[in-house]
Amino acid sequence: MREMTLSELSRLDAAASEADEAFQMDEDAFRLFYERTARPVWAYLARMTGDARQADDLLQEAYYRLLRAKAPYDSDAHRRNYLFRIATNLVHDIRRRPRVDAVPMSDEMEHADPRQTDAAGHAARRVDLSRAMAQLKPRERELLWLAYAQGSSHQEIAATLRLKTSSIKALLFRARQRLAAVLRERES
Amino acid sequence: MSQERLGHIACPREQEIVDLVVSGRWSDDDDLRAHAAECAACGETLELARLLKDDHKALCEKAPVPSAGAVWWRATIRARAEATRTAGQPITLLQGIAAATAVGLFVGLAGAWWRSIGSGDVWLERVDELVSRSVSVPAAVSLSLLLVLAACLIVAPIAVYLATADEP
Repeated sequence: MREMTLSELSRLDAAASEADEAFQMDEDAFRLFYERTARPVWAYLARMTGDARQADDLLQEAYYRLLRAKAPYDSDAHRRNYLFRIATNLVHDIRRRPRVDAVPMSDEMEHADPRQTDAAGHAARRVDLSRAMAQLKPRERELLWLAYAQGSSHQEIAATLRLKTSSIKALLFRARQRLAAVLRERES
Repeated sequence: MSQERLGHIACPREQEIVDLVVSGRWSDDDDLRAHAAECAACGETLELARLLKDDHKALCEKAPVPSAGAVWWRATIRARAEATRTAGQPITLLQGIAAATAVGLFVGLAGAWWRSIGSGDVWLERVDELVSRSVSVPAAVSLSLLLVLAACLIVAPIAVYLATADEP
């Protein structure tokens, strides 16, 4: 293959500059938004995939897609919901082609700090929850996490999961019952 | 979770409980606490909301997230790579067209040259005759084909030059 000419290089350089401008927020705005959202998004990804390493990869991908998205945002909350929607889509994609080098959450993240007074009980409860969540359907996991861990409203959940707002209450109720039943089974 | 607290019927106050647990103000509301102690659905909601909220908090505390700067930098590099790849596509296409035109031109010229020197080989004459018979096109069509070919002969070198030349 022949070498690139100067005109081609300058054209490509211009394209690279355009790429910088293609982001839908500047670096300072991104930093602020990232500081507020990165940890909850990582927690969501980790709990939905059950794999810490996958959560690391998907976090980067989710922010990249957000930056490149052309969607107009009314507010920071809207942007946040959109980020969670991207994260949800990424988790669905991953589920279709699971990784072979997955790192289960229990190996890395479930160990409690031994300095905590009720560390053992706390860790045991979290391991139970983690295993119970893994037994739920993906949609149930997402609903429960968004509603009870994130504190998202039914409207926000509907927007994130692309469901009807009117159906969230019933779906959430069923998911909650299912989680409670799985936890009871584990206890007994 | 105890059997007697199975929440089989939804309660209108469940959302209030979730809101308070999520905002960390659960202990402030005595009335709701008393209600949750009586209502099976709210009791179940409270237990699960606490469990999930604790898990969320613990995961967030330990989340090994990269710095905002690192994420921004990687995104920038990737966007540039993608933009470069996209910008390179028309150039590659143009190179392909130029190469195809050049090959066609070469074959056409070689054929014309071969005819002009008049080969003595019988089998080639037969092939030539066969081609002439099979391509029995009307005069108007053959004229337009000739014009297109002539246009290609003029345009192709210019296209190749524009695609490969450096700007001053």
